[in-house]
Amino acid sequence: MIGTLAFASLVRHRARTLLAILGVAVSSAMLLDMVMLSSGMRESFRGLLLSQGFQLRLSPKGTLPFDTEATIRDADSLVATLRARPGVQAVSPVLGGQLHFPLASGAVTAAALGIEPAVQGDYELVAGRNPSSANEIVANDALLRAVGRSVGDTVRAAAGYDAQLRALSGERLLHIVGRVRFIYLALDQRAAALPITTLRAMNGSELDGRASVAMVRLRAGVDVERERAALERLLPRVTVISTNEALKQVDERLSYFRQLAVILGAVSLVVGFLLVTTLVTVSVNERIGEIAVMRAIGVRRWRIVAQIVLEAAAIMLVAAPLGLALGLVTARYLNSILARFPGLPERIDFFLFQPSAAWTALGLLAACGVLAGVYPSWRGASLPIATTMRQEAVG
Amino acid sequence: MNVLLALLPILLTLHATSAQESSRAAEPRSRSIAIDSRLAADASLRIGDRVVIAAAPGEQGDTVVVSGIVQRRADPAEIARGEYRIRTHLGQLQSLLGYGDRVDRFAVATRGPSATTDAVARINAAAFGFRAHRSADVAVETSQTFAVVSRFHRAIGVITIVASAIFLLCIMLLKVDERRRDVAALRLMGISAPTIVRSVVLEASAIAVLGSLVGVGVGLAASWIVNRHYQGVYRTPLRFSLVTGDIVLLAVMLSLVLGIAAGWLAARRLVRTPPLALFGR
Repeated sequence: MIGTLAFASLVRHRARTLLAILGVAVSSAMLLDMVMLSSGMRESFRGLLLSQGFQLRLSPKGTLPFDTEATIRDADSLVATLRARPGVQAVSPVLGGQLHFPLASGAVTAAALGIEPAVQGDYELVAGRNPSSANEIVANDALLRAVGRSVGDTVRAAAGYDAQLRALSGERLLHIVGRVRFIYLALDQRAAALPITTLRAMNGSELDGRASVAMVRLRAGVDVERERAALERLLPRVTVISTNEALKQVDERLSYFRQLAVILGAVSLVVGFLLVTTLVTVSVNERIGEIAVMRAIGVRRWRIVAQIVLEAAAIMLVAAPLGLALGLVTARYLNSILARFPGLPERIDFFLFQPSAAWTALGLLAACGVLAGVYPSWRGASLPIATTMRQEAVG
Repeated sequence: MNVLLALLPILLTLHATSAQESSRAAEPRSRSIAIDSRLAADASLRIGDRVVIAAAPGEQGDTVVVSGIVQRRADPAEIARGEYRIRTHLGQLQSLLGYGDRVDRFAVATRGPSATTDAVARINAAAFGFRAHRSADVAVETSQTFAVVSRFHRAIGVITIVASAIFLLCIMLLKVDERRRDVAALRLMGISAPTIVRSVVLEASAIAVLGSLVGVGVGLAASWIVNRHYQGVYRTPLRFSLVTGDIVLLAVMLSLVLGIAAGWLAARRLVRTPPLALFGR
């Protein structure tokens, strides 16, 4: 009976109910988007950092990996020190640089990563194989397209220009042995990877013995934070960053988006709450006489409260699935906008759908629906029966 | 070379020394540096303090005097960068880093737009190993991040407007619906339907204008809070939120149009319903 009465009350004012459902649906879509935004970036970034199993990253003191052009001196001895530690399973030194590919139409410039192919964690092989000798290189699709080459071809590359000699410096003929996808680089960024010793040799004394970052994979069971602290004490020239530390840094830099998500999510929730509260309050006001009659014929107070709360919850619950679907569509659209951030790794998603996000949004909406019905139901159930009926009869 | 000071995003380690210790050990002619206000605040440095700058921790480095504290520019591209920056004399930095006679870039002042075009073309055609860019192109490139953020804000704005529009329609519908008995009485007294619609629309417009004015006030207050908060978080003079005349006009016009439309729709519905039905008889 409670359900029937609540349903009848909602159907009586179709336009009003429909608008309320639409309003709550848009609010809940926004709420879901903001819940996804608040946790999505973090989880997406965590997945990216841990995708190759490296828990620690060492960069020049005071910098984040590849945040500046600073490099670590005597990187080979640093890598040897790291590899000698019992808790360390693998160390992957990486040197960042540039390569210029002279073509008839002009030079194509690309990011270059000097790596140790056996332990590298910067790219995934799509076709071909890893470099196994000094003059072998792997490249991503953007670079292969730009230089008009494919796996198996050779390409001339230089590390720089010597302005005084007016000639390319560190020039070499490189053999393309693989097509790869770089994990930490943007999709449209031209990039190649080659043995670190080759990249150093091409750059001459400038990058001799240097690395931009060293990634460390620890053995199972090793406490990451304890190892991080130990390495930082042992190696004062570098900053050692764990995944948690990197996430903290990212949180700081992207705090704007997190705060925006919290503010807009809260506003969406409040708007939805106010909308339903207003509607149910007005609906109760219109039915004061009806409620008084129901109370007079013996309908218990809790049944009236339950009916009104049910009306509010029904609006929320009908609107919620609609809103969640709308939220997923808008999240895809908003993600496609933010994916155009310059240099953003392809795999980073700002809006990451997680079932917990949907449940959180749904839970908040249901709670709001119940709360939205509390005030009107309390008011409706507390009416003095005789006075109300008299007022309604007199008009 | 007209570049006197270099601003390089290269890590330099600073070791502060006490004034007495420095005055004993200082060279007679220590060179000066400028530091950014964040570094000055975090390291408690003041003008006149002596510090040692080195290319890496533990290296000997140079003793220099802090001769200036600079505020970062209101540059959107720099707000998320947390590292400290110092400005040194170019030659000193080159020597400290072992850079030789190299620089990362030159800034060239030209005599006008046509001279800029000419200079860019001639440098790119003649100077092997260099690439000249217009400052405007560099600015466009570095502001890409904020162009994306701006597009994101616009998209969020559209969603917010849709939600607000539905909310406004709903409230107006309820507001007019509440007047059903008044409308019925007016109709029974012989007031024409168009007059009633006009009066309801007028009332709706007044509410919309009043509401949007309150909204502008709330928006200005929110904008002030946002600016204060993020200027503190990112330690920048950049203004994150701007309430411009265009934005105010858009908000007022939008709420006015929506208010009038909602009022008109609801009033039309009321006047088409028989007055006795409106009385619930």
